[in-house]
Amino acid sequence: MFEITRYESRRQVRGTLTMAVGLGAFAALIVGIFPSIEASGVDFQDYIESLPEAFQASFGVESFGTIEGFLAVEFYQFVWVLLLALYVAYAAGDAVAGDVESGKLDLLLATSVSRSRLLVERFLALMTPVVVLNLLVPLVVFGSVLAIGESLDPASLALVHLLSVPYLFVAANVGLLCSVVFSRGDVAQRVAIAAVFMLFVLESVTAGTNFEWLASLSPTRYYDPTEILVEESVDVAGAVVLLAAGLGLFAVTRGLFLRRDV
Amino acid sequence: MTAIDVQGLTKTYGETVANDDLSFAVEDGEIFGFLGPNGAGKTTCIRMLMGFQSPTDGTATVLGADVRDAEALREARADVGYLPAHPSFDGDVTGGAFLDFQADLKGDARRAELLELFDPPLDRKIREYSTGNAQMLAIVQAFMHDPDLVVMDEPTSGLDPLKQERFNEFVREERDRGLTVFFSSHVLAEVRRICDRVGIIRDGHLVALEDVADLLGRGGKRVRVQTAERVDPQDFAFEGVLDLSLHGDSAHFTFAGDYDDLVDHLDDLTVVDLTVDEPPLEDVFMHFYGDSASSTIDTASEERRV
Repeated sequence: MFEITRYESRRQVRGTLTMAVGLGAFAALIVGIFPSIEASGVDFQDYIESLPEAFQASFGVESFGTIEGFLAVEFYQFVWVLLLALYVAYAAGDAVAGDVESGKLDLLLATSVSRSRLLVERFLALMTPVVVLNLLVPLVVFGSVLAIGESLDPASLALVHLLSVPYLFVAANVGLLCSVVFSRGDVAQRVAIAAVFMLFVLESVTAGTNFEWLASLSPTRYYDPTEILVEESVDVAGAVVLLAAGLGLFAVTRGLFLRRDV
Repeated sequence: MTAIDVQGLTKTYGETVANDDLSFAVEDGEIFGFLGPNGAGKTTCIRMLMGFQSPTDGTATVLGADVRDAEALREARADVGYLPAHPSFDGDVTGGAFLDFQADLKGDARRAELLELFDPPLDRKIREYSTGNAQMLAIVQAFMHDPDLVVMDEPTSGLDPLKQERFNEFVREERDRGLTVFFSSHVLAEVRRICDRVGIIRDGHLVALEDVADLLGRGGKRVRVQTAERVDPQDFAFEGVLDLSLHGDSAHFTFAGDYDDLVDHLDDLTVVDLTVDEPPLEDVFMHFYGDSASSTIDTASEERRV
């Protein structure tokens, strides 16, 4: 068991570490410019409150003047909630469709591995970057914050990362579903990115409209790094909803994959 | 026992019928050639046998497992080797790492022995492999877990002639040890060299099923006669002469009649030179396909992707 996960994860090690270095550097940069923002004396809070509600909702813009709020908006809302979700969905989009298209999946399906096991193991491998980045990047963030003489609640920081896992789990499942539905890897990847982006904007574009109920379909509704960092409030129920949604998507994906001609 | 038993196997994609009511059996310990031009439905049949695709109608058993029963077929696959037409690998791993991975999934009792016969550069990344090296890697993975049945889809495309001969010899030796081989090909000479029995598929239908020897026998012999004087068509107007062509003092034809008759008729001529050959299997094949198929009969290897 887990031979496929091990093999596929190993292939991702270099790429994942490169990404960790890149995101770590970006986090350090964001933290690094905070003191000059603070010192500039510009009242960003005032400026932000003048922004449209939809924009504020998109990036959870609150308490820009504290390191927590600044990090949440400039780094987590943007990199973790949007970029990483898109990346995970994009990678997942290729996982099945790409290997079916190239014929690589044949040599796996020809062994006595069941399709269910294959899908589970491939999925776990997709979560490798999610796990590694969530372990390494918070260390950089925390170190950088200490380095500029600010402080950050380590528990809140840990929770931002921990609770991003169910959120990214959903994004990966959206990608994997596309990967099983479409027979071409690049098509599956594009649809997966579009789907995750639409789910992301669903919450912000419906804010303050009669369609606000649609926002409940958006995974971003259930994971809010700003809330965790700034208000230290944790949406456990949201995490449960995300896990359940991800598992539901996976069940559908598996059902389709078992019946699918390869 | 019957290694593969195909019963009314049918696969349609919308309006297209890829396999139409195929029925045949591959017995234990034989090399069965599955012969047909490109697009005849060979790969579709193989993909159903491997469980990659489900039949629209009919079924087949592989080592006793019904292909419609995913769990039974999964267990049976432990004893099946598979060699795809265009083996495709992750380019970023080395050949050795790929074999390690496959070994984790199905075992590799015979890996070392196979690598002595087929020697892809295991330390290099697969993206640097030539077509022949990729094919050798695919051969090693297909046989390394010592399967009872090996299913091959156009296996020798991409191998150089020397490796191809080594492969054919290896497959025959394995057959003698009890291995069953299901071997699809559009290269007739290949089937003739290696197979015991052959099923011929055309447009999704099985059009013939027989011993390779019978197939050759029914095709007659190629005869070339050179005479001292100009040949005349009348000299060869007797039963059994097919496809006669005359070139000055020599005549070429396929002879499918009584050899005694042939000798009697040649007696009337002044024979300078005479050769009687086995016909190319291509000619035999033509009897099933007619002229339209000639363009698909190809002894050269195709373009392949890795």
